[in-house]
Parts: sequence; structure tokens; C-alpha cells
Amino acid sequence: MDTARSLAISWIDRLRIERLVWTLDQRLYDLPRRSRIAHRHEVRQNLLTAATDVGTTAALRGLGNSRELAEEYRTAQFGIAPRPAYYSAALFLLTAQLIGTSLLGEAANAFARGITAANPHASGSYAWSGIAYLQSEVTYHFTDGHGDWRGGAWTPLAWVLWLTATILVGRLWRVIPGRHRSARTE
Amino acid sequence: MPSRHDPQLLKGVLTLLLLRLLAERESYGYEVVQRLHAHGLDSVLEGTVYPALARLERERWLISRLVASDAGPARKYYRVTPTGYDALIEATGSWLDLVDVVSGVLEQPLPTRPGKGV
Repeated sequence: MDTARSLAISWIDRLRIERLVWTLDQRLYDLPRRSRIAHRHEVRQNLLTAATDVGTTAALRGLGNSRELAEEYRTAQFGIAPRPAYYSAALFLLTAQLIGTSLLGEAANAFARGITAANPHASGSYAWSGIAYLQSEVTYHFTDGHGDWRGGAWTPLAWVLWLTATILVGRLWRVIPGRHRSARTE
Repeated sequence: MPSRHDPQLLKGVLTLLLLRLLAERESYGYEVVQRLHAHGLDSVLEGTVYPALARLERERWLISRLVASDAGPARKYYRVTPTGYDALIEATGSWLDLVDVVSGVLEQPLPTRPGKGV
């Protein structure tokens, strides 16, 4: 709609608009990429038009907060039924493995440091059973206090726990009724 | 001045209003909001309208196209599809029927106000 008045948008106002668009975008990661980008562009364009019409503050107020807007967009995309959180699942999948591997590695290193603390010139092989049920046996080979270690990998149980936790965090079981719903509506 | 329209009621008929306005002429999101405001529905927020447009497009009741704008990025214009038009006719009939029924109830003489403690 072309209006008689047209307010100038300062760079600060543009930053305020971009901030909201960016925040909204971060909350829309569960949407298909193309939808997310389309919504981002549309909201930005509408905000710029509204800002030239009624001012940036009123334009942002009219849009509401990004959390509620994102929820409206997710509902528009997936309906009101409970839905999975793919973004949370992906985030957990990556970070949990990093943290878990780091933790188990640190435990193995601590055991090695314990050996050299007890005997700075240790030589020979030492075995440690690892963290019970989560880590395979770790074997250390030392020569005069220097050495390396083998083993310490995740056990099948650790992998199962990791995947189960990912399903729980992302509420991925909701994918199944979601697929049934979409099959019915197509 | 607080709005005299119940947001929940408005939300219930928003689909119908959007289809009707877009059946009249193609519009982009902010313009649709402005048109709703011009009709007196000033409590309708952009944050409600834009996702509703996205939902209607997903349901294929609306179709969109990008139109270059002098004032910035290309604008996304929406218009009603034949399916959306049929839905509009059906929903309009349902709404008018409902209005008749509700009006029939509400236009009867109001009973006496209940006393305190009842």
C-alpha cells in the first residue's frame, strides 16, 4: 500500500529490524529450509514497509515477539499437533558426542597420569577396564614413563544411550503420527 | 483505547477475512494488515496475519508471487486459488448461518441481571 508519508529508516532501525529477523530465523530451524528463508525475507520486507509507514518501533510492536511469531509459523507449517524438534535433536546429537568422547578421553588420561605419578619411569603394559558399561577396556604401553594407549571406545550401550537421548531430546517419536497425518491429508 | 474486538473471535474468522480480501485483489502481507485495519479491525496484529497467510498458501488456498519493489526487497503478493475461492464461498455461508443463529439468541430480551452471590 503506498501511503502519502514515508518515514526514513536509519541504520539503527535497520539493525533493530535485522535483530528481530535474525532471532525469528533462529527459532524457525525446525522448518524446511526453503520455508524458513521465505518467511525471513517476507517478514523483513513487511517490516521495512511498515517501518517507513508507521515507524520502526510501531512496526516491531505490531509484529509481536519473535517467540510467538515463530510458534505461529511452526503451527502454520505443521499444524497444532505435538511435533518433533529436529534442531534440538541435531544440536544434542553433535554436542553430546563431543562431550561424551571428551569425558571418556579425560578419564583414560587421568588413569595414565595416575600411573606416571606413582612411577615416573613406568615401563610395560597396564590395563584399565574403562568406565563401566560405557567404555571398552583401555590398555597403556609405557616405556620409561612415556607411552600411549589403545581402546577406550564407546560401548554399544553408550551408542544406544546416545541415540535414545537424541530421540528424547528431539521428541522424534512424534515424527510417526506426523507422517500418518500428512499421508491422510495428501 | 482498548480494542473492542475479542482477539480469539478475530482469530477464528481470520482465514475467512483473508480469503475475502485477497479474493477482491492481490495483496502483500503488510497491505493485507492495513486493509483489515481500514475495515476497523485494528487489533489484528501482523504477527497473526503473516503465519496465517503462510498456512493458507501451504493449504493451496492462496498462491504467491514475488514482485519487485522500489522501496526495498521484492514483495510477496498473495491471491486466492480456485480451491481457496470455493473454500471462501463455503466458509462465508457457514459464517452467515452462524451469525443468524447467534443473533437470534442474542437479540432476545436480556433476562434480569443475577443478584450478588448467585
